[in-house]
Amino acid sequence: MMKSRLKSALVILCFVLGTCTVSHAMVFGGRPARPEIDPSLAISGITLLVGSLAVLRVRRKK
Amino acid sequence: MTTPHGTSTGKSSFWLNLNSLLPDHLLGRFYFLLATVAIEYLFVFAGRGQNANHHGFLGIVTDAVGQIPIFAYVVFLGLGHSRLKALKVKVSFGSLLFAGHLLCMAAVFAFTSAVRQGSSWVQFDRFSYAKSLIYVLGTLLLAWAIIPLGDWFQAARATGRLWLYSLLAGVGGWLLGIPVLMLWYSTSTVQSGMLQRATLYAVSVVLRPFLPSLFVDPAAFQIGTPNYSIIIAGGCSGVEGFGLVILFTSLWLWFYRKEIRFPQAFLLIPCALGCSWLLNILRLFALILIVSDGGSQAVEAGFHTQAGWISFIAVALGFSLATQKIPWMRVRSGIEGAAGATELHCEDRRESPAIRAYLVPFLLILAAASLSRAVTGNFDWLYPLRFFAAAIALIYFLPELKKLNWRFGWLGPIAGATVFLIWIAPSRLMPFWWAHQHGVSHLGADLAALSPAARWSWITFRVAAAVITVPIAEELAFRGYLARRFISVEFDRVSFSSLTALSIFLSSAVFGLEHMKNLMDWPYWTLGTLAGLAFAAALRRCGRFGDAVIAHAFSNLLLAAWVLGLGDWTQW
Repeated sequence: MMKSRLKSALVILCFVLGTCTVSHAMVFGGRPARPEIDPSLAISGITLLVGSLAVLRVRRKK
Repeated sequence: MTTPHGTSTGKSSFWLNLNSLLPDHLLGRFYFLLATVAIEYLFVFAGRGQNANHHGFLGIVTDAVGQIPIFAYVVFLGLGHSRLKALKVKVSFGSLLFAGHLLCMAAVFAFTSAVRQGSSWVQFDRFSYAKSLIYVLGTLLLAWAIIPLGDWFQAARATGRLWLYSLLAGVGGWLLGIPVLMLWYSTSTVQSGMLQRATLYAVSVVLRPFLPSLFVDPAAFQIGTPNYSIIIAGGCSGVEGFGLVILFTSLWLWFYRKEIRFPQAFLLIPCALGCSWLLNILRLFALILIVSDGGSQAVEAGFHTQAGWISFIAVALGFSLATQKIPWMRVRSGIEGAAGATELHCEDRRESPAIRAYLVPFLLILAAASLSRAVTGNFDWLYPLRFFAAAIALIYFLPELKKLNWRFGWLGPIAGATVFLIWIAPSRLMPFWWAHQHGVSHLGADLAALSPAARWSWITFRVAAAVITVPIAEELAFRGYLARRFISVEFDRVSFSSLTALSIFLSSAVFGLEHMKNLMDWPYWTLGTLAGLAFAAALRRCGRFGDAVIAHAFSNLLLAAWVLGLGDWTQW
């Protein structure tokens, strides 16, 4: 039980930290003219990532 | 007639239909609320820029304070998932409240549009405060409409003090953001800008053997040669990659926690962060090397915009593969009892093997587009790469694809012609507005600068891709897979005639997103969504995959003829 709570807490901490970083980098960080991760390519980038992950998580043939 | 909560009782068929589209259990409603708020936030606030006036809410910066309820809600849903799932209550829908929500969002969107158009009357603080207030009110109405107050209280009772812990996690997350800022802000304090300094130092170390004339200005975070130099700004130091990688890895570990072994899996997070940082250094290294060595500014622009995403996708895929393939990270197989049962359960949740044939051609087009833009700059002279990538994949998966019904009738071309007319209508009917929205295309001038052989080769591949590979790959991905995947994980067993209104709308909306030129390109999103609806309607009516493909191919053929005949290059 304790291990499970700790696991959840660590995952949440990572999530919160990641959200903070993205939020601050993209909103308050003062975006440079050419950022590291270009938001205008977000749709194709996320589609490529999610699609690839779906293909990689294919079920083994029985 | 409606009840006080606004639930339809018979006359209002629209609300009844809307209600039937929503999940009827509490957990589904919580997730639906999260998705709706996220999408609306994107529509209303994305791309609003750095104008402080747009952030004001009672003198507080809403982006900062807004993080607290977002974190809290996500933590509440994540930790309360199983307890909320156990609540088997039938949830009603508040149509009147939802109507109020729509009114509020329309007002907020009008404010935002006016700001983007440059209207001076909305630049005053009081309008920003009003906008924020209306947005908050609209969101509260939405929450009430989707989940009645009684069900909110029931959820709170069922989850004990979780709401309090979630709120504390939200405040903690918001507070954590402040030290995170220190990683890349360049102020006078010692720890500030340390990520920038580390990145600057690392790039200079790897560049020096290749560029003897390299200069480094640590005070200005500038590095380069007399020909070309860059400033490693806070946003370029790797921090955006860090944020996305932490976000992705934590979500991945949460969703697949039953398949992954802990605490081993946590070791992968610093590994992923290290890879992300090293890839960013490689990106900056390649950028300076390419342009200093005679590469054009156009190549620099293409490489700069694509390399960050390519790096992030590579790290994310590597992380997910590591959690699936490294035996030490996985729940062990071949074990009797709970672990074995868990593995069987996880195996059932995985995608059907048929997904490869449906998605890989489209994914290869996206990957080829990303790579070709990274090395070509403004004019994508490597466009034929997309054609070959999709063609090879389609040939490879031919045995699987032969199972589909490729016959077609007259409805397909009719749908295609209709889509073509809808597609060109805005630019014909509202030419000034269209030009304001999408600017001028340089494609015609770029093609004219090529030799005739190169020009016609490029056009031949562009048309062949538009009429052959792209329609097949996109129809396989959006109608063949996505529309049916919304119905069942065994999507290849769902007949096209049984597509639902919701699955058609959602897959078409995603199809529309893929046609946007940038995040704020709503005209193309609308056109893409309408096109997706038309192709899906032809598919559902006839029940044959060939009808959707021929509709898509015919509309693209007409569009290619239009572009080449009239020189209307903005349509490409």
